[in-house]
Amino acid sequence: MPRAIVLNPADNVATLLDAGQAGEACALEGERQGRLVLLQDVPFGHKICIADTVEGETIVKYGQVIGRASCAVRAGEHMHVHNIESARARGDLQKG
Amino acid sequence: MTTTFLGYPRENGAVGVRNWVAVVSVMDNCNPVTRTIARTVGGCIPVTTLFVRGQFGADLDFAFESLAGLGRNPNIAAVLLVGLEESSTEEVARRIRSTGKPVERVHLQPDGTVACIAEGTRKATRLSLAASNARRVPCPVSSLVIGVECGGSDTTSGLSCNPVIGRMADMVVAGGGTVIISETSEFIGAEHLFAERAADGRVREAFVTAVRNMENLAISRGVDMREDQPSPDNKRGGLTTVEEKALGAMAKAGTSPLVGVLRYGEAPQKKGLHFMDAPAAAVENLTALAAGGCQLTFFGTGVGNPIGSMVAPTVKVCGNVNTLHTMADNIDFDVSGILQNGDKIADLGEQLFGYAMDVASGTRLTSEVLDIRETAVSRFALSL
Repeated sequence: MPRAIVLNPADNVATLLDAGQAGEACALEGERQGRLVLLQDVPFGHKICIADTVEGETIVKYGQVIGRASCAVRAGEHMHVHNIESARARGDLQKG
Repeated sequence: MTTTFLGYPRENGAVGVRNWVAVVSVMDNCNPVTRTIARTVGGCIPVTTLFVRGQFGADLDFAFESLAGLGRNPNIAAVLLVGLEESSTEEVARRIRSTGKPVERVHLQPDGTVACIAEGTRKATRLSLAASNARRVPCPVSSLVIGVECGGSDTTSGLSCNPVIGRMADMVVAGGGTVIISETSEFIGAEHLFAERAADGRVREAFVTAVRNMENLAISRGVDMREDQPSPDNKRGGLTTVEEKALGAMAKAGTSPLVGVLRYGEAPQKKGLHFMDAPAAAVENLTALAAGGCQLTFFGTGVGNPIGSMVAPTVKVCGNVNTLHTMADNIDFDVSGILQNGDKIADLGEQLFGYAMDVASGTRLTSEVLDIRETAVSRFALSL
């Protein structure tokens, strides 16, 4: 079973320590225990959502903000650049 | 735990972990001669550069000072400067002589390439023979200045190699040594946590200002920094945002208080953990750290970046089990047991500290043996 590590109790993402496939259950380790079914294939080292998230919600890893959800995401979905966006150093948002 | 290493004491009290003669280009047009001499004479390394010719004002001063910093590095027993003409060569020589080490010069003008190579080869030969008389003696950890850096990062970096480097860094500081973390753009999103560790308000303000200036640079250019930070290979390795990358990168600095903020290539004046304001790209950053006097650099990598510093040997530390298979030739220290077997960061940190003492005593690294080494002094203004 692929392992997914949760680094801080406040986190809403976990990092996969093994590649996982859609429909497969992964084992949550670290600061949260349990199982979660993957809704998509997820590569080694990529993140999954561990709590249903609404658009604009803060994404937390290490107990710290790493960005915000750019759309609604369900627990078990792959979380990466397609549904998390950085809030920092965004010169593109300054264009008039 | 060994807390001494075998190093080369220098005239100015600094200690080298290597004993090279550096053949240093004073400007870009000298690089072919520099490479030829360094290739011909045993015990030499080539320190090449780009530009300098045409740089002016503060930017030229910065270029001279950075090249001189590489020459002053305690790993360098003696320096042969390869210049185009005398005045610029003397400007760099003057800044290295303060160390008391031998500094020789050769010039391309007026006799041309072949004569310059011949004269340089003779001078480098004499310097190399003399340097070989140096002997390693036991030296304390407090004489080490260690650079910590990361590249080719992925999500394993923040969970394994960077925290292990941080643990080792804490042991270096506890032993009275100095650690420098840099890569300003890679603090964006984690600077609030690092700023809390500043020893006083002045250090805190200098650090926060450096990171804010970097973020404002990205904003003022109107670019979406997400295209480059995290880089495409970082993203392939699972890193999503600069904030996430920064939180993992910061782990390299361990837990010591931040006692000083340095300019690019500036040498620390006291012991303990420092931050150097310098670009994050590996070759530029390793060059800045070596110019600031780091004798050793520790480089955490996830998806793999093989490059090492020419002047400050670069220990490649990796915790990604896949990279350890595909890029085994480029990794010096394996910490994949953390994610594969539940090995403890503290245990591997102590092992890395022991390995650091070995490397400081002469154990060679992949990037040295394979000569995967490069130098790049940054340039911050347009040339004439």
